[in-house]
Amino acid sequence: MWNYEKRLQFPVNIKEPNAKLAQVIISQYGGPDGEMGASMRYLSQRYATPYREVAGLLTDIGTEELAHLEMVAAIVHQLTRNLSMEEIEKSGFAPYYTDHTIGIWPQAAGGIPFNACEFQSKGDVITDLFEDMAAEQKARTTYDNILRLIKEPDVCEPIKFLRQREVVHFQRFGEANREDCRIQVIVYLLSHICIIKAFRQRFDYGPNHRIHLLQGANPYRQNAGIRHTPDAAPIRCRAGAEKGRSCRKAVADFPAPFLKTLSERAFYAI
Amino acid sequence: MNNFSSEQSRMLKDISIIDFTLVELNEYLDTHPYDKQAMEYFNHYARIKNQMAKDFSARYFPLTADMSTDTREWNWVLSPMPWESSFGEGGCK
Amino acid sequence: MQDYNFDEHFERYPIAMAYVPWQHLSQIYENLEEAFHIGTIFPELDKPFTGRRVVS
Repeated sequence: MWNYEKRLQFPVNIKEPNAKLAQVIISQYGGPDGEMGASMRYLSQRYATPYREVAGLLTDIGTEELAHLEMVAAIVHQLTRNLSMEEIEKSGFAPYYTDHTIGIWPQAAGGIPFNACEFQSKGDVITDLFEDMAAEQKARTTYDNILRLIKEPDVCEPIKFLRQREVVHFQRFGEANREDCRIQVIVYLLSHICIIKAFRQRFDYGPNHRIHLLQGANPYRQNAGIRHTPDAAPIRCRAGAEKGRSCRKAVADFPAPFLKTLSERAFYAI
Repeated sequence: MNNFSSEQSRMLKDISIIDFTLVELNEYLDTHPYDKQAMEYFNHYARIKNQMAKDFSARYFPLTADMSTDTREWNWVLSPMPWESSFGEGGCK
Repeated sequence: MQDYNFDEHFERYPIAMAYVPWQHLSQIYENLEEAFHIGTIFPELDKPFTGRRVVS
């Protein structure tokens, strides 16, 4: 569930109203690559992921996007306060004003209302994460475009912050998308069973992480015939049982022979 | 009228900075769930932030509803909204 | 900072998949207020808009 903290994530203090800028920035509120789409996308996708790391990341980033939504609304609100009728007409703000006065209503810059067609929740964790990575890039580009159009420092400061957040989120979703995000968990569990200490050193997931050992790891798990079988009973591994987690049978994902043997032993040992 | 004293502004700014650090470390830990160093950083800053948030809520207005200790007036609703201009800034706007 | 020497086994990665390199916790900005204004506490993720394209 959600709690609310009564402050913006990054301060927004705009001294000069400017309806023209507001029309541009409202796109990041309810537009196709905006924060409302981002938060709804991530918060909707988290239910279908079979991995807690991914679900947790989607929850946390989805929540942060709600905070960004609030920031964008604050920017638009502060840009449209105390406007005279002449300013509203001259800036082209009249159509929005007619329907919404200076209320905040989620729409794209072109006027298309926010709708769920602006995001997808495909129910496939790999697909969803690629969608999320694309969404972060699209949002980043939109902020780039805003920074090209707008030079006022009061507006640029929060926009630059929001843009940088998109870059960081892209990195996070990219990491979540790595097969070995889950492999790290499994390797960690294996190393805790103390099967081979050298194995643990070899699989140190610090700066010397050896990805090639997992060559052949297949994220298209439908080929492995294992993914998305909610009815398949998860196989308890010893370490998993200690941690109260069950490890899905992911053995077929790691064809490297020694790993398969070890993970089989780990996963099937009760 | 949003009349934040400079001390109040400073405290709110510090809370935002520490909370932002926590958000960054939180998201990092979501994809690196066994990074002990990051967890140490997180726990360290989480303690600081909780203390600062409690202090702020006791002195000025509650940052979350459950931090309210009001008995006379319900400041959760009476205090300025975050989107009001000059929220967090010292002085009147 | 991230070591930019590409992994020598990169060519052996399975195709038809995309990979984002792992970030490793090497540094955090010392001045957290500055990091807050930048938008990240990790220097290696600090990629500001330069007017054209992102700085690496």
